[in-house]
Amino acid sequence: MHSEKQKHTFEPKIIAFVCTWCTYAGADLAGTSRMQYPSNVRVLKFPCTGRIDPVFILKAFQQGADGVLVSGCHPGDCHYIAGNFHARRRFAVFRKLLEFVGVDLNRLQFSWVSAAEGGKWVEVVTDLTEKVRAMGPMTEFKELAMEEQWSGAIDTPELKEAYNQI
Amino acid sequence: MSRIGVFICHCGENISRTVDVERVAQEVGKLPGVAFSTDYKYMCSDPGQNLLKKAIQDQKLSHIVVAACSPRMHEKTFRKAVEAAGLNPFLCEMANIREHCSWVHENKEEATVKAVEIVGMMVERVKKNRVLPTITVPVTKRALVIGGGIAGIQAALDIADCGHEVILVEREPSIGGHMAQLSETFPTLDCSQCIMTPKMVDVANHPRIKLYTYSEIELVEGYIGNFQVTIKRKARSVNEDTCTGCGVCMEKCPVRKIPNKFDCNLGMRPAIYVPFPQAVPNTPVIDRENCIKFKTGKCGLCQKVCGPGAVDYEQEDSLVVEAVGAIVVATGFDLYTIDEKPKGSAIKGYGEFGHGKIPDVIDGMTFERLASASGPTGGKILRPSDGREPKQIVFIQCIGSRAREKGISYCSKVCCMYTAKHTMLYHHKVHDGQAYVFFMDARTPGKSYDEFWRRSIEEEEAVYIRGMVSRLYQKGDKIVVMGSDIAVGVQVEIEADMVVLATAVQPQKGADLLAQKLGISYDKYNFYSEAHAKLRPVECATAGIYLAGACQGPKDIPETVGQASAAAAKVMTLFSKDKLEREPIVARVKESGCVGCFACKKVCAYGAVEEKEIRDRQGNLIKTVAFVNPGVCAGCGTCQATCPSKCVELDGYTDEQVIAMIEAL
Amino acid sequence: MTKPIDTSIYTAVTDAIRTEAQRILSEGQVSAIVGYAAARRKGSAQPIVISQPDDAAKLIFTPACVNNLAVYLTKAKKEIPKSGKIGIVVKGCDLKALSGLMGESQLKREDIYLIGVPCAGVLASTVQPATELTTDSIAPKCTECDAHLPTGCDFVPAQTPVAADLEKKYAAEITRLEALTPAERWAYWKEQFSKCIKCYACRQVCPFCFCEQCLCDRNKPQMVDTTPRPAGNTAWHIVRAMHLAGRCAGCAECERVCPMDIPLNLLNRKMAKELKELYDHEAGFEVLDKGPLNMFTEKDDQSFIK
Repeated sequence: MHSEKQKHTFEPKIIAFVCTWCTYAGADLAGTSRMQYPSNVRVLKFPCTGRIDPVFILKAFQQGADGVLVSGCHPGDCHYIAGNFHARRRFAVFRKLLEFVGVDLNRLQFSWVSAAEGGKWVEVVTDLTEKVRAMGPMTEFKELAMEEQWSGAIDTPELKEAYNQI
Repeated sequence: MSRIGVFICHCGENISRTVDVERVAQEVGKLPGVAFSTDYKYMCSDPGQNLLKKAIQDQKLSHIVVAACSPRMHEKTFRKAVEAAGLNPFLCEMANIREHCSWVHENKEEATVKAVEIVGMMVERVKKNRVLPTITVPVTKRALVIGGGIAGIQAALDIADCGHEVILVEREPSIGGHMAQLSETFPTLDCSQCIMTPKMVDVANHPRIKLYTYSEIELVEGYIGNFQVTIKRKARSVNEDTCTGCGVCMEKCPVRKIPNKFDCNLGMRPAIYVPFPQAVPNTPVIDRENCIKFKTGKCGLCQKVCGPGAVDYEQEDSLVVEAVGAIVVATGFDLYTIDEKPKGSAIKGYGEFGHGKIPDVIDGMTFERLASASGPTGGKILRPSDGREPKQIVFIQCIGSRAREKGISYCSKVCCMYTAKHTMLYHHKVHDGQAYVFFMDARTPGKSYDEFWRRSIEEEEAVYIRGMVSRLYQKGDKIVVMGSDIAVGVQVEIEADMVVLATAVQPQKGADLLAQKLGISYDKYNFYSEAHAKLRPVECATAGIYLAGACQGPKDIPETVGQASAAAAKVMTLFSKDKLEREPIVARVKESGCVGCFACKKVCAYGAVEEKEIRDRQGNLIKTVAFVNPGVCAGCGTCQATCPSKCVELDGYTDEQVIAMIEAL
Repeated sequence: MTKPIDTSIYTAVTDAIRTEAQRILSEGQVSAIVGYAAARRKGSAQPIVISQPDDAAKLIFTPACVNNLAVYLTKAKKEIPKSGKIGIVVKGCDLKALSGLMGESQLKREDIYLIGVPCAGVLASTVQPATELTTDSIAPKCTECDAHLPTGCDFVPAQTPVAADLEKKYAAEITRLEALTPAERWAYWKEQFSKCIKCYACRQVCPFCFCEQCLCDRNKPQMVDTTPRPAGNTAWHIVRAMHLAGRCAGCAECERVCPMDIPLNLLNRKMAKELKELYDHEAGFEVLDKGPLNMFTEKDDQSFIK
């Protein structure tokens, strides 16, 4: 247990997309076992990781998440036979895309946490929180949202002059 | 405008110890749409639930959020309470501020802030909740059982005894399956016929079992509770209703030398035949390929001698359609043949073992027929080649099984035990003979099984050699078996009179084709897949279809019977209500936007997505769209995440609800 | 070093297409043919739909025949496929798109008559349509083409294109970007996406963007911001790339039509590269039952999952 509470200057916002049968139940188990972990995580429950659309991850980052966790049943344990297998492919590809556009993948964690793995839930959440805390806020998407106007580069003298006159 | 009621539970002190519940109630009360917000010591208690019900009525609440423990704990409780108060239960959501908050955080400030956010998220979500009516599906209380072996017989009897009609379909002319072929059964050595035939007669006499033998499944339509099954009844050429089973036709048939498949081709049968004397039904069938009447148009002897005039050469294959609510698949197994397989096949044979070429190399089932009192030799162990009694006999286990290089990696489970049984039967019948067994491991889990195996060695003098056979060949009238004894580390060479191969258990031929008709999944060996390896071992992922026996994987008789009764129990559970009620958490297609790419259909593990044609009033096809059968959909939502235009939506987990939650953060 | 690319077969290809088109139209095998015809400016080409045998003489194939005509068989002209069997002139890259569309139930093979084109490459830009095809002026997609000669068509002129060995332009650019830090890549794409004016030309021209209602146009819920602002632009391009992953056939029409010169196909190519590495999937002429993201194997890579 934490003997003394550390003071942090930055509290990251972590959003977790989890399936109801394994990871949500695993998080419940962490609770019934009175394990302790950082309070930064907000859990969104889905029937299955197969339901989790990559757009949700994108949306979470746009809404100011500093880290995103996607977690479901171990391969072969899916309550819906194969939803997690489909999710595995989908996210294997999606994370590559995010990486290519310049998102630091340290902010996006995938995991298998079973209903029996309360300890693993705590570990995954704690690790991600600490990692993201060390990285600092996710500014990329927030900055985009701040830039209200069309921001095509003002690269010609005429444009610059026109812009300055506004 | 929604009037949301929020109820914060203290859970005694479980929540209120680390979460300032009054503050949560206050803060949440300020959220737009929240009309009522309060906290209470125990929401799940009777007074708590009454508080909820009363508030719904007094405050005219439209949506409810209960912030308490995990929804896995009490979601049902509160949805029921909400329903009792006149609201649709799916307008109530739970915010988990115990397992996910108060119990896992110590700092009261942090936990309170988190609790406010969790509740706020659920408030935004519940605004987007829709009224979802419970899905009811009518149930036809009749069952179809496919396969008339011991699995199918057991399942059919159990369901019929419970008062429901059963259609039992068997491909062969008689029910009985492989068990009827066996001589004696392990571990008790009781005669298979003696325990099997009474059950077969029970099936024939059961007022609620309709038996279609010599019939196959042609088409399966519909879904749980409402299947329409088309069954092809192959022309028997003998009228089942009028035939008395006297057997005169079989006696008079001039064609007598057709190898009988039931006797593993060791015995002979006429062209009009029953596969074995105890067949059910005891109505013969004409084998049209070998019948002189069908080949040349002459003969017709059987028709002339038939007293009741049951022989009908004009009979044709016919189709019958049966409506059933549940299907038990019990198609059983077949034995691996060791002959060389066609090039490119994943399964390789054992051409090197001379099966089919050396007549005295036989498989386990053939040995059963030799040892059976009703078999072609009357129960004497005799060599197929010259009818002599074999004095040295070699059994080889794991032929095909556990041999990845031969294409099958699984254990066939029954061979260790039946080979031990074979050595005993042999020893009982050939007192001066010697049995040798080549084996890799002896796998004998099961009640009284290991004792049985040990008895074959310790009392019945079988010599077990741990090791595999590398080669066998004919030398004079002997078969030379060369192998290694890895326990001692020497090469062994035995001149045997007969070799018995414990060949692998495989699914029936055409198992994959039947699976495609049924819409159930199967593994790479064509064994049918259960919905969950541990928790749903007799159910298919496709709702309303259940598995019994070796079609799901190799099994012995007790296990098969157990599984058959379990499948029957599942069917009876389904039939216990007139209507099947399902949670309305299912996917729906927005047909106006669907472009019919069927990505949803491709990812659906349950076969719940169908193709539906949209036509105008003149009947012209406008487009083909996806349709989710709510009776079959399991509600995983994989289709929705896959659909590019999001035109399929999982009720209860819509994009609107999810985005509302994300935006609340 | 700029070198010319041998397009000498295109004249013979044009003749063969005309003869075949004339034949199948007059025999009534097809009701119409989608192909290329000369446009007003010298050397230019434009898509054309012909239904009269006499019009077969209008068909051409030149380095300016850049368009992927597959788009005319899906959403762009929904009424065309309804009018009976249709002939279509396809380059290898276009045929890959058609095969993908067949796999996604948007077209039936029996409804189309494929006139394959042996192709050595087309121009990157048709601003100067009379430009000679050289290692410089060739479309970047053609530098990576493995489908110069379409197969499985109903008719292919008996010509063999001379495939020049070219530096793979996309592969080089992907490698360059991969070597950057995430922050540098973000800066690069931020710059690129900031140019976007949300004209959706990329969506209009893409044969695979056949949805009747695009997810990105929805407002209930609004998954993606629709305004041409940086946040919405970025989201749009990420969603577009994701939705085309495992489907994009690499025709690069999105990039060609982009008025703001955003290197759009780079994203699709990167996805294709990953799908090749992860699941050994490549867009081809074969019609697949399931795309790589509609299926799985139990042994799929999960090294990224904790």
